[in-house]
Order: sequence, then structure tokens, then C-alpha cells
Amino acid sequence: MKIGGGTDNIESFNNFFQCWLVEQDQFLNELLDVSKHYETNNNNNTPTTGSTSIGDHQVSKDQVLRSLIDKAIDHYEKYYRAKSRSAKEDVLAMFSPCWMSKLEEAFLWIGGWRPSMAFHLLYSKSGSQFEARLSELLRGISTGDLGDLSPNQVVRVDELQMKTIREERQVTEKMAKLQETVGDSSMVELSHKVTELIRSGDRMSEEEDEDEDEQVESNLASKEEGFGEMLDEADDLRLRTLIEVISILKPMQAVHFLIAAWELHLRVHDWGKKRDARNQNHGGGDGVNLPQS
Amino acid sequence: MAGICCGVVGESEPAVATAVEQSSRASRRRRLEHRPFKFVADMAVRPPLENGPNKRPKLDLCSQFPLDNENSSSSNSNIKNDNNTVRVENREAKRKSGVVWDGDRIRNEGTVTDSKMKSVQVEGAEEGDSVQERPKFGFTSVCGRRRDMEDAVSIHTSFCYQIPKIPAKTHFFGVFDGHGCSHVAMKCKDRLHEIVKAELENSDDVVEWEQTMERSFDRMDKEVQDCSADTTVSNCRCELQTPQCDAVGSTAVVAVVTPDKIIVSNCGDSRAILCRNGVAVQLSDDHKPDRPDELIRIQAAGGRVIYWDGPRVLGVLAMSRAIGDNYLKPYVISEPEVTVVDRTGEDECLILASDGLWDVVSNETACSVVRSCFRSQRSLSSPSPSPPPGNDVAARRDSSDKACLDASILLTKLALARQKTFPLSKARSTLLKNRIRIIGLSPLGDFALHCISGNPRSRALDF
Repeated sequence: MKIGGGTDNIESFNNFFQCWLVEQDQFLNELLDVSKHYETNNNNNTPTTGSTSIGDHQVSKDQVLRSLIDKAIDHYEKYYRAKSRSAKEDVLAMFSPCWMSKLEEAFLWIGGWRPSMAFHLLYSKSGSQFEARLSELLRGISTGDLGDLSPNQVVRVDELQMKTIREERQVTEKMAKLQETVGDSSMVELSHKVTELIRSGDRMSEEEDEDEDEQVESNLASKEEGFGEMLDEADDLRLRTLIEVISILKPMQAVHFLIAAWELHLRVHDWGKKRDARNQNHGGGDGVNLPQS
Repeated sequence: MAGICCGVVGESEPAVATAVEQSSRASRRRRLEHRPFKFVADMAVRPPLENGPNKRPKLDLCSQFPLDNENSSSSNSNIKNDNNTVRVENREAKRKSGVVWDGDRIRNEGTVTDSKMKSVQVEGAEEGDSVQERPKFGFTSVCGRRRDMEDAVSIHTSFCYQIPKIPAKTHFFGVFDGHGCSHVAMKCKDRLHEIVKAELENSDDVVEWEQTMERSFDRMDKEVQDCSADTTVSNCRCELQTPQCDAVGSTAVVAVVTPDKIIVSNCGDSRAILCRNGVAVQLSDDHKPDRPDELIRIQAAGGRVIYWDGPRVLGVLAMSRAIGDNYLKPYVISEPEVTVVDRTGEDECLILASDGLWDVVSNETACSVVRSCFRSQRSLSSPSPSPPPGNDVAARRDSSDKACLDASILLTKLALARQKTFPLSKARSTLLKNRIRIIGLSPLGDFALHCISGNPRSRALDF
């Protein structure tokens, strides 16, 4: 592993990310169209259509939605594959991703979104859909959206949430241990040794120089390796959480969930970029001049 | 977030209800007349949520009605066949040996209670063999927007069936909202019903519920103290964070439901409400540090209530009573306030829940959500309203009821929808209490509610 290796690699990941965002935006529109289509269709059809055709309609609808959902999961997997490839070249870049806005960076957990956030997203969307159609739900009418989570789904979501929080904590704990190693004795001794050498003003021989570099290199490389593992674990948990949440949801609910996730992602990205641009215009990069958010 | 929804309405209502209608209405009126002021006022101003054929405006209920206990009771008995009459008498005997009323107000009502309860019981007796056999309840317990689950729900049906003096169909429902860690709440879940049972076993033939529950809570609190003294505590979070588990506690709201009574004991800021004919009747009074009488008590004990993100005992705990919390004794006490109500035919459901629900959902809303849910279930189900008869009672005893489960899920979802994410808390995050716990009870057969709160304090905060 090379330290700080591959600006090309980062450049290419950056490009990939921009394309991926465009793809997500298109995909979001597709999902919105589909959900709107079925919503209006449902409202028109339900009272009049015969039961068999409703059944058929339901089957084909589910098929359409499922293929969309599969596509969405592919979309995510593609992202994590690309990320993993780039991380092998330069893992540190993944911890301060230049393709994200500072706002997004502030929300990062080990180089990405926090897995337990998915449940807040779900509860928020579910809550607004629940309140919007409360009277129907109270009358026992199924709305088919996220407000209509069944008791079984509520329980499964809760179990998954607890499990995810547990795993998230374990990864966080590991990350803490890794981060603490910046102060371990090898690092402290090495930093002392190098500082002394610099202070003494002695010119190091080439050999000594190389020796130092090698020690630093090997020390940091092991740390970077650790960060790489952490990133893998974190990304794995993120992707798994996403897939598991979706697996609990019915197709239409999953579509609503994905819509909410992407709307949030894309808009936070936009807002962050806007703030960054404004910040640069104001000449301060630290956000001190920003109005209160 | 956890909760139980327990319906207390008889689904076989129509058959019996018409026969007993007259007398139960009479007794209801009498009952209401004798209800302490607050109640009557509350009822009077509350419009009915539904105008079904057997729903009358509340004001009507408060109209004058001559007291005639003998009439009422005899008319009831007349309706019943011999078998049921015997049953009534048996229960009557049991009931009489039941609660000892204290206080003038309550004693006044004593006589009224007798006849009224009889009628209620007759209704119950009719159902006893079919519907009332198993209590209906549903509960939900979810973490919601929190990162830790610190609450517990405890449901034990027929938990005293070996004790002859206690009616077999006496059920225990509890919601415990932990803070600091979950182990006190878990301990309450595991032990409190057993303690109550032991207290009942040791009690006189005349069960004095208030004292029984007070003693039980006291024992529960002592067990928690002993448990934090020994270090064999389970693998809970607080072990890592605080060497002594002193800073851990739990609220406790417990409803013991007998064939003719509901005994609610509350310690902390969870709450029990009874939905009776569409009206939400609050059966417990939240123990908040700024409740005037609690504030006085805390100050008299030498404590202070400091406002830090709301009123808190010593600026720390946002409730004035709890099980556990040794470090805040004697300001925070574990003594419950006990409310005993008689069941009436109009009781629809009992909801026990933590502040996670009550902070965002009013008593009335909770009540109407549950009612709507029951109503829609009834209309969706087949013409024959009774569920498939459960011969295998033992197997079904602990299974929850669909309508109640749905109701508790609806309440949970409503709470989740309204619950906002909590801002990053200050140093005391572990002591903030925002989880949701909902308990609800469901149709147990008709309930007779008649006043009696042993607690004269206004519980009208929400009305």
C-alpha cells in the first residue's frame, strides 16, 4: 500500500461519483413517476375492478417495483465496489472525501452514512405518511405506503435497528482502538527519534534517511491497513442495513423508502455544495462567517 | 418504546347488554353521581366521540337518578338464570371481602358500589365462559429514535390463580421505563408480579390493594438496591459506564385487573388511562418534580428541583418518583400512588404507556385511536363477532389479541410520527427519558368503572 498514492485514482473515483449522482437523480425521477402512477391507478381502479384483475394488477405491479428495487440495490452495490477499489489505492482519501461537501463530511461515520440513520429516515418518512392518511388507517383501510407498516414489520424493523446499533457500536469501538494507536509507543518513539535527528542538525546519511522512511512507512502502512478494514466493515454494514430494511418492506414501501433516501442524499449534497461555494466567496473556509444553520 | 393496549370491552355485548341495559344504566348514573367532582366535571364537558345507538351524551349521564340499590340488584338477579345467580353471589362474597374502602368519600360510595357491581358482574358472568376467559391485550415495545432500549413490559395473566382468595382471572400488566440503564426496568419486569403475588398470599382475607401495592413497590425497590450492591449484575451497559449502578432507575405503572376492579399503581411519569365509553379517564397522575405536592415533598426532604432542560430533582432526574435511583433518595421515592376503580360495562380499554407516548399523544387521542381500531376490526371481521373459541386456553392465554395489537401498533406509530429527534443532550443524557412505552389492555369483558380514586389530587392535567 502506498501512502497518499494515486491522485489519478481519486480523480477517477470523483468522476465516478459525479456520474453516480446523475444516475441517482434520474433513478429518483423514475421511482417518483412509478409511485405516482400506481398511486393514481390504485385510486381509480380499486372500487370497480374485479378481484382477479386486481390480483393480476398486483402481481405485475409488484414485479415492476421489484425490478426497480433490484436496480436500486445494484446502484448501491456499484458504488461500494468502486469505493472499495479506490480505497485499496488510497484509503485515507475515503476518510476525507473531496467529492463531498463539508456539510456531508460532518455527517460521516467512518467514511459514509451512519447505518442507524436508516431507521430514523424510515421512521420520519413512515411518520409523515402515517399522519397524512391517519383517518384511513384508523378505519382499517390499507394505504400500502410506509405509514402502513404492519405489526410484524414494526417488530422486525425494531429488531434490525437494535442489531444494527449493536454492530455499529462494535465497529465504532474498533475504530476507537485503531485511532488510539496513533499514540502507541512505536509512534511516540519514532516521532521522538525523528525530532531529535532534526534538532541535532546532523545531516543524516542516505542510509539513515532511508531507514527512517522505511520505519515510518511500515508503521503508517499498518495503520492504513487498519483503516481499510474499518472502511470495509462500515461499508458492509451500510449496504447490509439497506438491503435488510428493504427486505422487510413491501415493494411499494421500499420504493417510498428509496425515494426518501435519495431525496435526502441529493438535496443534502446540493445544500452542502451551495454552502461551500458561499463560504469560498466569503473568503473563509471554516464556516465561521456562515449564518446560523 | 413499549406499550400494551388492553381492551376491556365485551364483544358479546349485545345479547347481555340489552337485558341488563336498564339496570346498568341506572347504576352508571348513580356511580357518576358519586364520583368526585373532578370526574363529573370532566365527563360533563367531554363530548362523546361517537354517537352509536347505545352512546348517550355525557351530560345525560350526570342527571339525577334515585338511588335504589335493592331495586337495581334484584332486577339484575332476576334476569339471570340460577347458575348465574350463584355465580353472582359467589363473586359478591369475594368482592365484599375485597377492597376495604377508606375515607369518607369512598365509604359513601360503598353501598352504591355493591349493587352496581353486581350488575356489572352479571354481565361479566354471562361472558365469563366464552369471551372473558382470556384477557385481550396487545403490546408494542420498540426503541424508536433512541439508541438504547431501557424499557420493559410485563404481562402475566391469571398470575394469582393458586391463591384461593384472589379471583382466578386476575391479571397483571406493567410498563417500566428505565433510565440510566435497562437493568432496573428488567428487574421490575422479572420480579414485580411475583412480589405482588407473594404480598397477596400473605395478606389478610380482605385484600387491601393500596397497601399491598405499596408494600410490593417497596420490596421491589429494596431488591433493586440489593441487586446493585452485589456485583453479579447482568451484562448491561451501565457496568461499563458507572461502577455502581446507583444512578439507574425505572418508572413503574402497573395495572392489576380483577373481574371487577382495576388497580393502577404508579411510580414515575408513565401513565395509565382507561377508555370508558369514549372518554379517556386518567388513572394515574404523573410524578413530575414540578407537580406542586411533589415539589413540596422533595423540598421538605431537603431536596431541590432545578430547571435544567425542564424541572429535575437536583437538576438530574426529570421525575419525582422511581424504582431505584438510590443516589437521589430520599428525594426520589419509590412509593406508588394507587388508584382502584370498579369496572363498568362501558370500559373499552386500558392503556398503559410511558411518557414517550404521552408526551406527543393526548389521552383523548390515544383513546379515540384505540376505539377506531377496535371499531374497524369489528366491521372487518365476519358477522359473528366472537373470535374462534379458544378451547386451549392455556396455549392462548399469553398470546395477544389482534385488535389490541393493532391498536398498540397504531399508537406506537403515531408516537413515532410525532416524536422528534432529541437534540444532543447535555451531560445527563442517560437520565433523559424520552422513550416510548405503551401498554394497552383489551376486551376483558365488560368492565365496571366507578370511581374511587384513593387519590384526591386533581388528575385533570390533561383534560
